[in-house]
Amino acid sequence: MVADLRRCVGCQTCTAACKHANATPPGVQWRRVLDMEVGEFPSVKRVFVPVGCMHCEDPPCMHVCPSTATRKRADGIVTIDYDLCIGCAYCAVACPYQARYKTDVAQFAYGAPMPNEEIGNDEKRLGVATKCTFCADRIDSGLAKGLKPGKDPDATPACVNSCIAQALHFGDADDPGSNISELLAENQFFRMHEELGTKPGFYYLWDRK
Amino acid sequence: MKVKTYCYQCVAGPDLLEVEVENGVATQVTPNFDAATIHPGGGKVCVKAYGLVQKLYNPNRVRTPMKRTNPRKGRDEDPLFVPISWDEALDTIARKLIEIRGKGLLDASGYPRVAASFGGGGTPQSYMGTFPAFLGAWGPIDMGFGSGQGVKCTHSEHLYGEFWHRAFTVSPDTPLCEYVISCGANTEASGGVVGVWRHADARIRGMKRVQVEPHLSITGACSAEWVPIKPKTDPAFLYALIHVMLHEEPRQRLDVDFLLNHTSSPYLVGPNGFYLRDLSTKKPLLAEAIEKTCHVKAVEIGPDEEVLAEGELQGVTAFTKLLEHMKPYTPEWAEKICDVPAATIRRIAREYLDHAHIGETIVIDGKTLPFRPVAVALGKTVNNGWGGFECCWARTMLAALAGALEVPGGTLGTTVRLNKPLSERHASVKPGADGFMAYPLNPTDKEHWKPEPNIRNAYRTLVPLAANGPWSQALGPTHFSWMFLGETPPGLPRVTYPELWFVYRTNPAISFWDTTQVAERMAQFPFVVALAYTRDETNHFADILLPDQMDLESLQLIYVGGSKYIEQFWKHEGYALRQPVVRPATEARDFTDIATELAARTGLLERYNASINRGAAGVPLKGLDWSFVLEEDRRYTRDQIWDAVCRAASAELTDGEETHGLDWWKQNGLRVKPFPQSDWYLFPTLAAQGLRFELPYQEQLLRVGRQLERRLHEHGMQWWDKQLAEYQALPAWKEFPRLWEEELARAGGKAGDFPFWLLTSRSMQYAWGGNVGMQIIREVASNVAGHGGVIINAQKAAELGIAEGDSVEIATPRRQVRARAVLRQGIRPDTLLLIAQFDHWATPFAKDFGVPSLNRLVPMSMDLTDATGSGADVVRVSIKKTQK
Repeated sequence: MVADLRRCVGCQTCTAACKHANATPPGVQWRRVLDMEVGEFPSVKRVFVPVGCMHCEDPPCMHVCPSTATRKRADGIVTIDYDLCIGCAYCAVACPYQARYKTDVAQFAYGAPMPNEEIGNDEKRLGVATKCTFCADRIDSGLAKGLKPGKDPDATPACVNSCIAQALHFGDADDPGSNISELLAENQFFRMHEELGTKPGFYYLWDRK
Repeated sequence: MKVKTYCYQCVAGPDLLEVEVENGVATQVTPNFDAATIHPGGGKVCVKAYGLVQKLYNPNRVRTPMKRTNPRKGRDEDPLFVPISWDEALDTIARKLIEIRGKGLLDASGYPRVAASFGGGGTPQSYMGTFPAFLGAWGPIDMGFGSGQGVKCTHSEHLYGEFWHRAFTVSPDTPLCEYVISCGANTEASGGVVGVWRHADARIRGMKRVQVEPHLSITGACSAEWVPIKPKTDPAFLYALIHVMLHEEPRQRLDVDFLLNHTSSPYLVGPNGFYLRDLSTKKPLLAEAIEKTCHVKAVEIGPDEEVLAEGELQGVTAFTKLLEHMKPYTPEWAEKICDVPAATIRRIAREYLDHAHIGETIVIDGKTLPFRPVAVALGKTVNNGWGGFECCWARTMLAALAGALEVPGGTLGTTVRLNKPLSERHASVKPGADGFMAYPLNPTDKEHWKPEPNIRNAYRTLVPLAANGPWSQALGPTHFSWMFLGETPPGLPRVTYPELWFVYRTNPAISFWDTTQVAERMAQFPFVVALAYTRDETNHFADILLPDQMDLESLQLIYVGGSKYIEQFWKHEGYALRQPVVRPATEARDFTDIATELAARTGLLERYNASINRGAAGVPLKGLDWSFVLEEDRRYTRDQIWDAVCRAASAELTDGEETHGLDWWKQNGLRVKPFPQSDWYLFPTLAAQGLRFELPYQEQLLRVGRQLERRLHEHGMQWWDKQLAEYQALPAWKEFPRLWEEELARAGGKAGDFPFWLLTSRSMQYAWGGNVGMQIIREVASNVAGHGGVIINAQKAAELGIAEGDSVEIATPRRQVRARAVLRQGIRPDTLLLIAQFDHWATPFAKDFGVPSLNRLVPMSMDLTDATGSGADVVRVSIKKTQK
């Protein structure tokens, strides 16, 4: 995934769209956008930074997982098997990106579940670690239909589909002709906490080359 | 299953969306990618629309009609609402309406006995179905009780913008623009999907935006440069930019051809400040150059057709007058006022001209047009209240100096709301007497000016620029309706309480200024009918609550596309349908059915149907070769009415070839035809008619102001004199910040004791949305700084011993509120910021936020009302840490 920091306006549309698509309970935000300041008045910059699971190439959450619930797919997506997860939360501690959540008791917006919450409520997610999946189910189902992730909405994560600034992009970084590869070739970028060696699969563009 | 519909909760809409429905339950909102090539924001959907599912199932909804059983009204009085049947509710209202009709539509003071208030910059019209047809059938209604108009909108821009370039709102031509000076325009928070989309593209393309504002807003964050200006000093900054361009840059850096041929620059001004006119035709006389002083045989005609001078007279061109007028406004002068370095002002002025591409053209839709990719944008508070006129004039002048007014790349108007026809700004361009566009000013001549207003806010009597169209009532001094209930100023008929007040999608007890006073007045209203989604601070004073079906339950066809509000510039126009995506979750009824029932029960059915036939539902039902008119004496269902409207819309879009009914529209959601991009630009339409922009010199406004002054004084009305001073041919800088210090003194305070400027700023998650009770909106908005308290400069907070999260008291001499401190670097040390409008005390969920609003602190004041009838969202306050 690529986030173009020149485009992001911190509107949280992706945050809300993720909550819709993944039916996450109140307070759980697999995708969210930080509102940060750098510098001191009057020389100050304000910047909006989308965050979530970075789907690291070398994910510390996976290494600390005692039950092998956290795994990495061949396409780079880091997954959690709720049936295997024992809810120890080591992964949440190990993740340098604060991307993991654990909810022990079902939570609803106004106490009792509304009809949409009854449909979205998944008991399997209680007492286990949860996080952004890059909408893996949607990607898989899209791919099965011959659709291209990052191009076709039905094969693309909800946050990317929703982004009103075209700040979020998704695709195959290993394909030199993909939208992601082009963006990385044309622009200067960084990955968050690169120094930790986790090799995130989430790139931030900040200026053209 | 996915259902296509639209969201129009804010003025930056509509957004076209799809709602996922599983087993009859709405589960999620998604963009409508089928509309990606039609909608100028790629068919994407704003964050507010993601609150619609919760809005549908919110357990706090008013689920049945209710009536008040506690006759005492007040904030501390429990209304003791009890459920009633729809029949009882509608009969109760109908009885009241029939009783009123029997007495006469106007009361003893001449004011309508029935009033109605709608909020959200006109967006409720996209939800109220055929209620406008009921209002039309009824007759005179006072729609001037404000809920935000004037103080929460860009009011000066609305009036002067329409006057100068048919611009109810103003926008850069963002897709082509290279350089934008933005004085507080918070497009990234209030411009909706399209604004965000267009500006993100422009940034990547290389457009530079300089954001001039006291706090670093969302838009400031997304701009190339932030200039932290002192509050309410923007005219000084803008005047200094003009000074640099006029007095420090070579003349050829300006678009002299544009000034000479398309503005009033060469008009000759006489010794008394009015145009010199031809002795026989009385047409203004023009010089052959923009800078010229000459002697000509002429007549100078002043207010009320008075001949001020006649014969051989000295004339000075309007541009020469402008040069003289702007000479004192140097960057060094401005620096002392607005706290922006003179060097910064000079650099920005020169950068603006560097990007103006004077003399270049661009071809759009096969037409060769001037290309001037520079623009100036103004935000709320800059753009209303005192100083708003000066800012609007300066902004429009900056565009004119570069020939960047209403041309590709430049400063554009979006739509008209005061000129007619409302649907087409180009058709509103009609020749006036002096070579400019005609404008429907309210009369100020002795014969036609009326001291008896048609409604309580007296817009026709006091504000010539407000015109007298359907929107004018809401664009007058709408706070006067509330203020004058307390004390009506001399010369006006005693302002009375309306005998019945309809309230829909608005909450003035929260959203207006001086909300304590507004709520106290509201408590005196004898009979209030509130269309109610949940309980709130305004319907707390209601007598009847009517639950109307909400966004995802109800049905309406609306016009979309063309050019409208903020950054809504489409290359298509047509209609979109809002439709029920699920079965209604409560006993709420569609507003169309409510309107039909009210019409039938008050004996107005025939007039109501006739009103729909004429187009009150958005489309006339009879066209050139088609007719879907309703029988006037028949009571139709919602779907029958909208089926006819759908068919008429289809026919209108296709010149009668298609007559698709409601079923087709439910399936497709949208039908459009091309809208040429060249229609975004008004300049060619003026040029084709040989008309000029009425800049720089405001002879007409000067004349109108003098006449208005005479009329008011003739009727013993001296209380508008301060406002009359705004009618200047060339607006001068006034000490605007001092006006707020003087207001402190009137309230018994000293400026030194209240050293902070408290401002507000729109929240993209909340603005206009009426969605404050949505948990998801609260949750995601909390990621954006300031939604939980008052923003204060971190260094200033340290000086005051205030830490992050501390409880603080913000006070004026008369009122105090409490908030949590939010420490940020991106705000001036003399400024505080309260985002959005909270302070709820009745709305479920929101009443537990504990976040105050500026609205409780801003005094509603004649002295803080400008000549257009607007005020600004700003107040001087103190702040101190309180005991936890």
